[in-house]
Parts: sequence; structure tokens; C-alpha cells
Amino acid sequence: MTTIAPHRRKRSLAPYALLIPTVIVLLLAMGYPLAWQLSTSLQKFGLAQQFGQPAEFVGLGNYIALATDPYLWTVVGRSLLFCLTAAALTMAVGTLLALLMRVLPAAVRVILQIALLLAWAMPVVAAMTVWNWLFDWRRGVVNWLLSAVGLPFEQHNWLQSPLSFYFVAVVIVVWMSVPFVAFSLFAGLTQVPDEVLEAAQMDGASPAQRFWRITVPIIRPVISIVLLLQVIWDLRVFTQIKLLQDAGSIASETNLLGTYIYQLGAGSSDFGTASAVSIFVLVLTVGISWFYIRSMLKEDAA
Amino acid sequence: MKRKIAGVTAVALASALVLAGCSTGGSTSSGSVAASTDGRGKTVTMWLVGADTPDKLRSYLVDEFHKETKGTLTIQQQDWGDIVTKLTTALPDKNNTPDVTEMGNTQSPTFTNVGAFLDISDMYSELGGSKLLQSFVDAGKVGGKNYTLPYYFGSRYVFYRKDVWAKAGITVAPTTLDQFNKDVATIASANPDNIPNFSGLYLGGQDWRDGISWIFANGGDIASESNGKWTATLDDPKTMVGLKQLQAIYQNASKAPNDAKDSNQYIYINDDDAIPGATATDPTTPVSLSAATIMAPGWAHWSIGTKGTDAATGKVTRTFDDSIYGVFPLPGNDGKPAPVFAGGSNIGISAKSKNPGLAKTLLKIMFGKTYQTMLGQNGLGPANSDYTSSLGTDEFATALIQSAENSKLTPAAPGWASVEASSVLEEFFSKIGTSTDLRALAKEYDAKITPMLNSK
Amino acid sequence: MSSAKQVSIRGRSRYSTSKIVFSIVALVVAAVWFFPVYWMINSSLLSNVVLSSTTPTFFPDLLHGGGSLDNFATVFQGGSFLPALGMSVLIALIVVVVCLLFAFLAAVAISRFRFRGRTSFVLAILFVQMLPAEGLFIAQYKLMASVDLLNTVIGISILYIASVVPFTIWMLRGFVAGIPAELEEAAMVDGLSRTQAFLRITFPLLAPGLVASGVYAFLQSWNEFTVALVVLPDQASQTLPLWLRGFIQSSASKAIDWGQVMAASTLVAIPVIVFFLLVQGRMTSGLVGGAVKG
Repeated sequence: MTTIAPHRRKRSLAPYALLIPTVIVLLLAMGYPLAWQLSTSLQKFGLAQQFGQPAEFVGLGNYIALATDPYLWTVVGRSLLFCLTAAALTMAVGTLLALLMRVLPAAVRVILQIALLLAWAMPVVAAMTVWNWLFDWRRGVVNWLLSAVGLPFEQHNWLQSPLSFYFVAVVIVVWMSVPFVAFSLFAGLTQVPDEVLEAAQMDGASPAQRFWRITVPIIRPVISIVLLLQVIWDLRVFTQIKLLQDAGSIASETNLLGTYIYQLGAGSSDFGTASAVSIFVLVLTVGISWFYIRSMLKEDAA
Repeated sequence: MKRKIAGVTAVALASALVLAGCSTGGSTSSGSVAASTDGRGKTVTMWLVGADTPDKLRSYLVDEFHKETKGTLTIQQQDWGDIVTKLTTALPDKNNTPDVTEMGNTQSPTFTNVGAFLDISDMYSELGGSKLLQSFVDAGKVGGKNYTLPYYFGSRYVFYRKDVWAKAGITVAPTTLDQFNKDVATIASANPDNIPNFSGLYLGGQDWRDGISWIFANGGDIASESNGKWTATLDDPKTMVGLKQLQAIYQNASKAPNDAKDSNQYIYINDDDAIPGATATDPTTPVSLSAATIMAPGWAHWSIGTKGTDAATGKVTRTFDDSIYGVFPLPGNDGKPAPVFAGGSNIGISAKSKNPGLAKTLLKIMFGKTYQTMLGQNGLGPANSDYTSSLGTDEFATALIQSAENSKLTPAAPGWASVEASSVLEEFFSKIGTSTDLRALAKEYDAKITPMLNSK
Repeated sequence: MSSAKQVSIRGRSRYSTSKIVFSIVALVVAAVWFFPVYWMINSSLLSNVVLSSTTPTFFPDLLHGGGSLDNFATVFQGGSFLPALGMSVLIALIVVVVCLLFAFLAAVAISRFRFRGRTSFVLAILFVQMLPAEGLFIAQYKLMASVDLLNTVIGISILYIASVVPFTIWMLRGFVAGIPAELEEAAMVDGLSRTQAFLRITFPLLAPGLVASGVYAFLQSWNEFTVALVVLPDQASQTLPLWLRGFIQSSASKAIDWGQVMAASTLVAIPVIVFFLLVQGRMTSGLVGGAVKG
């Protein structure tokens, strides 16, 4: 893709003026919480400190305690695996659906879009309640269907073993995220001129070639940001895991970073450690997306 | 790139400095304020948690408060799932704190220990003194002073299927815990109706709130305190006796999954829930009954019974049929009921309240005869034992009162909230059933729980 | 509907079999995604006792008193649905409008200008999305309490805009960058003013991006509840997700009436569907394709 050369010739204040509203709102809303998080992560900060007692400054103490706690690394490993699996699946399914929408007759496309939208529109709390029912060991539709076709799933407990717990979690997270990816990419695909694709087709390019050589480069900005967001969100997934844990499974065996921070902070009032884990997650996310961010910036600057 | 990240951080820090002045509230102690009745033009806010306090009781409080003080009482309902978060943020904030708040009895020690509540020792005798439910009073006590007091209590007892018990050859309700343990195992192996995975007693693998009774009944406990230090006591010999009994139940009497929790147990002792098919001759589906006995909080009785249809509304109903269903308090081995885990709430005045005097007047109303009686009439165990009779005399009230008499609370350790938040007890209980070395397991979890208990 | 026309031409000429296969696949996928939604609606018509059955009820048996709108009636009787709806709609509108405006301006700045601090800005808006929210609630509460914006629409809107605007900028940046500036300039050469050129040339090309970001912003603010929980502690100012949560958690001493919960959930989802139907036309209308082909 050819990047558009900056067409404003002289330096101006215009770009700064355009950024002012965003910068102000971000500073207002995120500046203090971020700073609080940073400073709290360097303190021994519990409920007593929240109620006004002076906090003891412990430097990197919280971080060191975490780094030497094998449980943190277990949770990190799980979260990374979960995140990569869910994000990859979501992207694959989302992309396929976006492409599919392009070639469907209008009526079918609208049906598919409405189904996806309804799924997206479903309140998370409601969606999780329904999913918990679907996988319920005793009353769940999933077991009912699988047993009905003769498979040994009568009273199968999906949440009991961590592996099948994560399987259920991935299914739910993918189900919830795909509509967003599919719609975003579909919007991106509208920027791909049909003429170019048709010309390529006449030149004998296969569908795969047309996809990788023409479509992907044009919608790359959308793909990259959507992928990045999936990785970010799936790494810190919280609500779905928490509500699944409430339904079954043993929390310490199924914790991911999101539920771990919640357990430390809101649960145990150990805000110092919870903040340290949060900052750690921030650094971790920057780390795993670093290559990606750099290439994106390079491409951007070229 | 480092420079740029540093830039972002610097901006964030700068904005924090601007706000720093506002972030900590002053901690003024209100000392000993007398109850005030001059509420003209003032508003007192009270948080009640969940919908458990019926509307009738709420409006009584609002009216009575206005009558006595000419002030306004605003009652705001909070949710059980979020109350800790809400208390954590609002109680230290003098501009937004509720004046009076309800909290779960196990949440009381955590907040009381950090000074969130006003010292109300001066009102203790006036509000009921030794007549108040002592385990709850203790949960609100630090250093001999009273900060929170009991609001209402609930209790757990046994619900059983008389018909299934009889078919398995047991016609007399057990009077000792040993007998109970034996009976439920017998029923599970007899399985008179040949139901797959049938439990004599359905006890979820993570259901420590019910399972803990076996520890209590044998004189054990989760933790003990000496000189302000808390120590987990799972491997105490008395606790171990209870754990062994629990293991036997998990192995022989209960077919509940090892990750099942303390929720919805009632569905397991109900009969078929199937809906009639499209035609009247359509056969109904297999029974959903899968346990002869459960232990559950008293309110579960609303959800247990024979299925029927309300003629007026066409809605499906449940009728607790005395010939099929029965209740009794879990028996102990000493002739008294086994101690159960008491459910219920405490109530306290925020240390940051701007109207402590009026808040005290509100407490007086709540601990008065009229309100205590109203609690009982609505099935909530009143804080003051003088009014327990208001609960009535039906079998549920009897079981509630008997089991509550001997009820216990979780340790009033400062770090108890951490223990609950980390689900460490759930995890421990889920491993009892399959453990080959219970003592080692108990020691392992003692080591995990002890530091949590003492964390502030 | 030019894009649809394109497809159908292609379909007729070369791919009629594969078109059928694609359609079948699409319908199966639609069914899978729709099923949980269906289950929610189905359950909202059933009574609680029926829901605890071991055998699922796939269709409410209206003839035998098996299904009814009672749950909806009960939910409405509570009286707190409409105020919460009003609150949620107001917040969502503010967030969508303000967010799209701010994000559009910022997207133009970073895709059409090269300036000092541009990279820092791009990184900053990326990083703010990476901070886990689960540990932030105390700071968010203190922030709002200190400026006296607890329980206000403005307070929560600021927090929501800040959490949605970074993504929206990224999304729109792709679209703005994809529109050749020459197009606009050429139009100006043809005698249009800058505003006219923008409205006639650039804006239509941006429409799908604006709609996609708008839908995203709307849904984020519509479904969010962890932040709302903390900065809207007062029941009188609760949003729909809080209202829904209250429904589920209302009692520790009663069994949850799941039929009512599902009826409440259905009510929360309906406005989203209305919103989508309003913008759906934009997303696929000829506006887009037409402009490209000019």
C-alpha cells in the first residue's frame, strides 16, 4: 500500500489543535488512575491505608515478591496461551465471516449480520448466564444434545477440569468477539475497490492470491488494530472467566491475570500487589506487542 | 523510544499531583456523640444489602425516623456481589459515605479492624446487650469495643425426602451426627429408585459453608487466635475427625461434583420438573431427583416441593408436602444440634458519618421491639433473642431457631476477607474426597491460610 | 446497493453453486451465533420452575400455559427500568457523538500531518488500553469524588469516552489514511470549498468507519458495568447493566428468578437492536461504493 505523503507543506499548529480534545479527556480520565496505580504499586497498601493510615513505601518490594512467586508465572503462562488461542481463533473466524459477507446474496448477508449483531448486543451478564446454562452439567443443552446423539456426555461436568474449563471459556470469548472483528473487517473491505479485484481476476489471479496480494494490504491497518485489540483484551479477559468461576471450577486452577488482579485487589484488599500485577500486565502487553507496534509505526512513518 | 514512554508517564504523574490534595480525607474522630433527635432538614442515608429486608420494614423505618427526628431517612439498596467494593470506596469518603450500613457478618471484622465504623459501645446495653446474638456481636468487636451489631440471622438445616429415606429402610430421623452419616451412606448405596449418580446427601465438593458443620460438630475450627495472632487449625486432631467424616461422605454418600458450590442445592431433591409434552398422552421425561438429602439455608424451602399449577395464574408452583419432604437441624453427637455456619448481617455507623447522633437514633428504632418483631414475622431471625418467638412455630421456624442456637461464625480475623476472596477453603474442601493423606493436605492448607488470616 | 449488485453479477456468471454453499454456511453460522440469544428470549417466556428442569424446553408451550409475558410484566412493575434506560441512552448518545468527533479530529491529525510528538501520542493511546481495569476502581472513585462528579452523566461519560476514544482513533485513522488526499484536493480544484469537499468526498468514504466505530462506542458504553458500579453508587443514577445486575443479585435469601432475569436481559438488548437497525442502512448503502466509483 502506498502511504499518502503529508500534504501540508509547512509546519502548523493545526495537528495539535486537532488533538487537544482527545488529550484533555485522556488526561482527565486516565492520568490520575495511572499515576495512582504506579505509586500504589510501590507501597504496602491495604484496606487500612484506604481508610487513611499512612502507607509504607516498599520500593520494588511488591514486584520482587511477585516475581519470586511461582503462582504468578503459572497465571501468566495460562493467560498467554489463552490469549493467543482465543485471539487467533477470533481473527480467523472473523475474517472468514467478513469475506463471506462480501459474496453472499443480500438477504442471507443481512440474516448473518443480524445474528452476529444480536450476539454482540446481548448484555455480558445475560450472555454468561445463558452460556452457563448451556454447559450446565445437569441441565445443560450441550450435554443434552450430545447425549441425544449417543455420546457419553450424560451429566458431564465441563468446568471441573481446567482444560475443559478453558475450552468453554474460549468458545464463549470467541463467540462474543467475532461479531466485532467481522463487522470491522467488513467495513474495511468496503474500501477495496471491486475494479481492482476484477482486473486481477481477469489477469488470472486465484482467489487466494487476490486475497493476500490485494485485499490484505489494503485493509491491513484495520486488521492490525483489530488483532492488536484482541490480544490486549484476551490477555486481560475478566468478566467471562469470573462468571464461569462462579458457576464451577476451582478458582486457583483457573485464574487468569484479570481474575487474579481482582482477587488480590477487590477481594483481598491487597491493593499494592494488585497494582503491581496491573503494571506488570501493562509491561507484558507492551512486550508481546512490541514487534508489532514497531512495524506498525515504521510502516506509518515510511 | 524510552524517552517517549517517560514522557507519557510524566504527564500522568503531573496530573496526579494536581489531584493529590483531594485524594486523602481527614480522619476526624467523632468521639462519643449522644443519640440526637433533631433531624429537621437533615438526611440520613442507610445502605441495605439485597432485597432481603421487605418493603414494609423499610417504610416503617422511614416513617418512624421522621416521626422521632423530623429528618429524612434515605434507604439505598446495594447488591451482595458488590458490597465490599462499595464499602471500600465510599466508607472512607466523608462526603459520600452512607451514615448507616448493613454488611455480611463475615465482612464485618475486615472493616471493623481498619476503623471504618463508629464506636457504639455506649449504646450496647441499650440496644439489647447480652440478649443480642453473641457470635455476631463478636464479629463487630475490636479490642473490647462494639463497632457493629447483629441485624438479622439465618441458618442452615437439613431438608430430606421422607419417601426415599423410607424406601431405603430408614424411618426414624437420626438424632446423632454419627447416625446421620451412616444413614446417608446407606441411602446412597440402597438407591431405591435406581437413579444414576444418586446421592444420599448432596454435598458439593467446594461447599465449605455446609461442610464446615462436621468440623464444628467435632469441636474443631478453621482457625484460632492467641495474643492477636491467628493460626489455621485444619490439622488440629478435633478438626481432623470432622475431615475424616467429610471424606467418608464425599466418597460414599455424595455424588456431587467436586467443584459444586453452595448454590441451588434444592433442585436436587425435587421431583421431575419436566413439562408436559405437546399432547396429554406424551410421556414425561425421566426424574430429575438425584439426592435424598441436602443441607441448605432456610429460605430454600420456598423452592422445594411437589410441582403444581396455580389455577388463577397458570404458573407452576411448588408445595412443600409434609408427607414427602421434611426438615431437621443437623444433629450433633452431644444431644444438641451440630453447630452450623450462621448466615446473616451486621449493621454499623460509618466513622465518617456527618450525622452520628441521628444515625444512633435510627439504630434505636431498629433494635426496638416493633422492628425486631417485624423482622421475625418476615422470616428473618431477629438480633435480640427476646423476639425469636416472632418467627412463628412452623417446622421451618423450629429448625431455624434450633440450628441457630448453636450456630458459629467464621474466624473474626482481620484477613478473613482474603481467605474468602482467594477461594482457598473451596479448594481445600474439593480435595478432601480424593485425598490419600488428609493430614498432609490439612497441613498444606494451614500453611496457606495462616498468613492470609493475619494480613491487613 | 451497488456492492450487492456486483456480487450478484459475479454470482450469476460464475459461482452459482458456490454461492449456494456459501449461503448455507452463512445460515449455519448465523444459527450458531443466534442460539444463545434465542435461549435468552425463550427463557424469558418460561417460569422459573420450568427452567430448573433437567430436560430443556426448546419452545415455550403457549397452549399449555407453558410460556407467558408475565416475566416482562413483573420486570416493568419494578419501576426502575425506565429511569435506567433513560440514563443509559443519554450516556450512550454522549459517548458516541463526542467520541466520534474527538476521534475524527485526532485521526485527521495523525494520518494527514507529520508533527513532533505524533509518535508519542500514537503510543500513548495504544498503551492506555493495555492497563487492566480490575485494579483501578479506587482511583476512579477518588477521581470522581474529588471533582464532585460521582453519580453524574458527565462523570461517567468522561471515563467512557477516554476508554473508547483510543480505539476509535485507530479505527478511523485507517479510513482517513485510505482516502487519498488528492481526491479532496481535486474537488477543491473543481471549485468546491474545503467544507464542501469534505462533506461530499471525504465524509461518505468515512461513513463505514464512523458507523463501525459508532456501533463499537455504543455497545461499550451500553454494556459496561464495572466502572459504572464504582462511580454511580447511587441507585437513582444506575444504568441498565447495573439494573440488570441488581436483578440477579437482589437477594441472598431467595432463589433467583431466572425467567425474570432473562426478560430483563432481553429488554436491555432491544435498544441495541433498534440502534443497529437505524445505522445498518448506512453500513451497506450505496453511499460508499458510489463515492469510490464517483
